[in-house]
Amino acid sequence: MRPWRGTTRLAALGALALAAACAPADAPSADGRKILRIAYPREIDVLNAFTSQNLVDIAFSMVEGLVTTDEHDAYVPVLAREIPTEANGLVVLNDDGTVDITWRLRENVRWHDGEPFTSADVCFTWRFVSSEGSETYNRDQYLGILDCRMPDAHTAVFTWDGEYGYYAGIFEAILPEHILGGMTTREIVDYEPYNRGPETIGTGPFKFAEWKAGEYIRVVRNEDYWRGPAYPAIDEIVWAFIPDSNTRLNALLSGAYHFGQIDPTQVPRARGLDGYDVHLISSNSFMHFDLSLNTPRARTLFGDREVRRALFHAIDRQAIADKLMEGTVRVADTPINPTSPYHDPDVRGYAFDPERARRMLDAAGWRPGSDGVREKDGTRFSFTMINRAGAADRIAIAQVIQAELADIGVEVRFETLESAAWTQRWRSRRWEAVVSAWFLPADPSLTGLYACDGPNNMTGFCDPALDETLTTSDRFLSFEERRPWLLEAQEELADATFTLPIYYNATPEVVSTAIGNYRGSGTNFGSFWNLYEWTLEP
Amino acid sequence: MGAFTLRRVLQMIPMVLGITIVLFAVIQAAPGGPEASLLATGRFIDPSVIEAYRHRLGVDQPVHIQYVRWLGAALSGDLGVSFSSTRPVIEVILERLPATLELMGTAFLFAAVVAIGLGTLSAVKQYSLADHLGTGVSFLGMAMPVFWLALLLQLVLAVRLRWLPVSGTHTVGLASAGDHLRHLVLPALVLSFRYIAGWSRYLRSSLLGVLRADFIRTARAKGLPERVVVGVHALQNALIPVVSVMALNLAGLFSGAVITETVFAWPGIGRLFVQAMLARDYPLLMGILLLGSVMVLVFNLVADLVYGVLDPRIRYE
Repeated sequence: MRPWRGTTRLAALGALALAAACAPADAPSADGRKILRIAYPREIDVLNAFTSQNLVDIAFSMVEGLVTTDEHDAYVPVLAREIPTEANGLVVLNDDGTVDITWRLRENVRWHDGEPFTSADVCFTWRFVSSEGSETYNRDQYLGILDCRMPDAHTAVFTWDGEYGYYAGIFEAILPEHILGGMTTREIVDYEPYNRGPETIGTGPFKFAEWKAGEYIRVVRNEDYWRGPAYPAIDEIVWAFIPDSNTRLNALLSGAYHFGQIDPTQVPRARGLDGYDVHLISSNSFMHFDLSLNTPRARTLFGDREVRRALFHAIDRQAIADKLMEGTVRVADTPINPTSPYHDPDVRGYAFDPERARRMLDAAGWRPGSDGVREKDGTRFSFTMINRAGAADRIAIAQVIQAELADIGVEVRFETLESAAWTQRWRSRRWEAVVSAWFLPADPSLTGLYACDGPNNMTGFCDPALDETLTTSDRFLSFEERRPWLLEAQEELADATFTLPIYYNATPEVVSTAIGNYRGSGTNFGSFWNLYEWTLEP
Repeated sequence: MGAFTLRRVLQMIPMVLGITIVLFAVIQAAPGGPEASLLATGRFIDPSVIEAYRHRLGVDQPVHIQYVRWLGAALSGDLGVSFSSTRPVIEVILERLPATLELMGTAFLFAAVVAIGLGTLSAVKQYSLADHLGTGVSFLGMAMPVFWLALLLQLVLAVRLRWLPVSGTHTVGLASAGDHLRHLVLPALVLSFRYIAGWSRYLRSSLLGVLRADFIRTARAKGLPERVVVGVHALQNALIPVVSVMALNLAGLFSGAVITETVFAWPGIGRLFVQAMLARDYPLLMGILLLGSVMVLVFNLVADLVYGVLDPRIRYE
């Protein structure tokens, strides 16, 4: 009775066969083609740069706009020959208060299907984005445009109803009029051949090749790129969708990819990786702790500015940056990133000083109660912070804040909500405190976030002076005129003390040393803004 | 048996209808809506865009109206359009189904072979080293979180030893059958582990019972070789409860493995479900859950029928 030995032998054979099938994996290039492999954190929804709800960095390999932003957050002309300014005569203020802005376009540009790129495409893009139902996230920014004229095939003139500081940055992409021109807005939003290929036609360095649902997007070299035959220097790019951050790190560690974004807490592990550099890209995004005035309890607790200041002084942001985020991030005192020329380095900061915080709360009449939590007129100093489940960094910060505020006699309770539920609660304004992050466009306007009726101001705070400064800051076109107003706005915002910037988010990017000309950028164009000049060593 | 099958199939119709109502209600009851994905990037969003988006998707309508619309379309075979990809739900699901069937099927077959071997060994050599080892492996398989096992195997087999790729279904640009198989090994292995753990336990206890039965003693008394006694007489009877458990598990073949597919970036239904859930893609969620529910009903019936085939004592009226 030995029938089982056969099974064992079979299993051993199977294991051998398996081992034989397993050769080492590397990031290879088939038949000498230079294939850039990118471990990408999510699967995107559509390739239409205007209707996509995701950050659209993949699409920018194929689709180009009038401008892009470089690694210093500065605008760089792409399909435009230059950025229109008053100085170069392309921005003209009319007597009736309207403004004519002239975009001179490059003349040798062709769409991927060979059709010439013209001013008709530019005007069409404006008509689409500004139309009802285009679902472009910043559609409101295009509504100041009254008209688009085409004096010739390579000049587009927009007439704006006033001065808008963000005018230069909004045409992030241009849509092909010859493909989408005959359709209604709704038809364009739903048009699958453009949304998912194969008709995703752009003017960019790479052409759409393939989108394998759930797996990857592949683009190939545009042989007829307008920058000349030297560009791009890479034959093919594959963005593999790897949603799990641990898997992404493992995939990079295994050498199968040239490029990938990881979590800040994973940086120490990635740093030891041979043949790769870890770049900390200061994204145009900042983590912040907001207090609200929306609920009666919030008004009782946070109505007094001195009390809010006391709370901010009790939070050790440097420790959060150094210990929690492994030293990958910089402490922030203002929303505008230090890489931006509009950044104000002199705004009031809130130094960590719990002793001072206690004194300030004492002075404001909040005295420690029997359980250690401060009280005033029968109200305990206790509030609820809403947390987004799964946002590990934010929850960790919230826990630090909770502990540090407990230390000065303030109780913080948590309510953790799933992502979509969290968003709904936040927008409904039924909350008292929150740790959250904003992703800012290259344009530094803060009006939407902090003006009294700013569409993204969910705090319930309204400071008329700040409101005035913010609104004014949007009304200047030139950097020199606009900058003082934005500096003033940043100082007033810090004084108002309802939002505490914690740190500027850094996106760690793991970049193979085989990649050349990588110039990582933290704006909404992302690090792929200059893919046309990237090189790849075999 | 034909009448029995027909009756069961007819019973499924009101059942499926009831399921759709519950699913629709539960999905809609989850806080937040499809606009959450608009807001998730942290960009400033023009609020009128959110309204336009909700209006286009029809989620600004009362829930019962939405359900009636959905049901009307579904009855004519149209499961609607996925919110996030603007493509027909059926198309999106069919596109992902092969990857899931392949992964689940491989894991299933592998698990069945190993579980039967392991379970039989454990029962025949009860309390031997092999039995203890098998029991240990089974409990480990049940207790270990799938994502943890997956990451561990990635670290050892893919990162350290570089025998296997970390994730995906093939190396783009270098696709071959061997390359594809190498990608299949880790997720299938992880997925099969839990099945192996469960099934081998069922088989062990079932076989232990059967081996003490009178007809086994008779078989041995007749002088049949042990191989035939265990392999033919005992195993066939001991497998009956195990097969029905397997048949029920088969329903999962179509709903995919949420965690395994996500960790290994495998483009199956399980991962699609997670994406749809996070994006509050109601039509896609309904499509996936409906498929899963129908499959559970179908394989329930299959399990009952298989039971009847394997065990002549069971008769259906």
